[in-house]
Amino acid sequence: MSYYDVDAILTDGEKVPCRFELDVPYLGHLDNSSGLKPGSRLALPLWLAEMFALASAGEDSKPPLTLTLPPCLSDHVQAALKADPRAVALRDQSAYFYGVAVRMLDLFDERELSAILRRTFVVRAADVGLHARKAEESGLGGQGEEFLRGLDEWERRLFRRGHEGVKGAKEWTDNVKRS
Amino acid sequence: MYGDSGIKLVQHAKRTQNLAHLPPYQTELVRAVTREVRDLNKDVDDLLEPFQGSFDPSEDQAVAYTLLVNHISMRRNKRCLLAYHRTRTDKLEELVWNGADVVDLSGQQVRDGSSRNSTGLTSGDGSTSSLSPQEEDYVRQYGDLLAAYKGQWTDIDLTGSLEPPRDLFIDVRVLKDAGEIQTEYGAITLTKNSQFYVRQGDVERLIAQGYLQKLS
Repeated sequence: MSYYDVDAILTDGEKVPCRFELDVPYLGHLDNSSGLKPGSRLALPLWLAEMFALASAGEDSKPPLTLTLPPCLSDHVQAALKADPRAVALRDQSAYFYGVAVRMLDLFDERELSAILRRTFVVRAADVGLHARKAEESGLGGQGEEFLRGLDEWERRLFRRGHEGVKGAKEWTDNVKRS
Repeated sequence: MYGDSGIKLVQHAKRTQNLAHLPPYQTELVRAVTREVRDLNKDVDDLLEPFQGSFDPSEDQAVAYTLLVNHISMRRNKRCLLAYHRTRTDKLEELVWNGADVVDLSGQQVRDGSSRNSTGLTSGDGSTSSLSPQEEDYVRQYGDLLAAYKGQWTDIDLTGSLEPPRDLFIDVRVLKDAGEIQTEYGAITLTKNSQFYVRQGDVERLIAQGYLQKLS
């Protein structure tokens, strides 16, 4: 992940729900009120929330806010992924689903979530590869199209690579035949 | 919310990555982001003023966290700005390697300009450019640098096509007046709509720039 990586920046822009633990009168503009009270809930972009959750001023003081898992990683979504990873349109949850998930796993110790995500990716990647191979021959249609619309940004890149690879190999074999 | 204009700028950058040409420079957005940074910096100065340089974060946590938010927001904006400009300069370098120069890029801006407000702009003056003045400068200097680099090997064209030619000589038709060019077989005057049988190596650049069309 590079400093200049556009996708990384956009991933950092995704919002996560937080709860403030401190009274900060100067930051009312964050949720359009006159000042943040302890217990105010608001959604902050990752780049802000992460630094905040890790920061603490004194030695024994607790961090000024607590993070919770964003809705795209809620129990509901986890249960759906456990049932059938292919049936969930990840893009509707978040365009940077895996990116956000990886960042959250850095902050939370969620072994089960990590296992679910790993399985989700493996199962879906096989399908992505299959569609990338077939996209040329059959055109997109029916269920496949719906599946592809649900790919998150990472899977899309995978799809594009796979597709380019198949195309490149085909071009090469055609060239060999001709000359 | 802080960083919203920054996000917009990065979304522009994301779109730029998948385009063949360069969309217009987002002067307004860049200005908005820099203004935000300046405002944040002023806030920080105002907050710190009463402490006269003896600020202790653990004593006044509210101020400390406000400073933290402002600082992170500024850093975030800086990252957005840098990423946006880097995406564009990468694109510009790619275009220069493909043989475009400032004139070509300004040609693109004229077409963009006339399609948008249909007044039929004829000259590529700065106000309709899809490049910022700094970017134009960058392209010019990068072009010079590339030319100097290529100049070390006069018998190889580093930006030439990697495809081996099938024929040494090709038929070309002239699409735009390109003046006189020098070849090994003497000078040829390229006037519009005329047709020539020339060595491919002599005219490759002109084909790439759209002056000539290759006839198969």
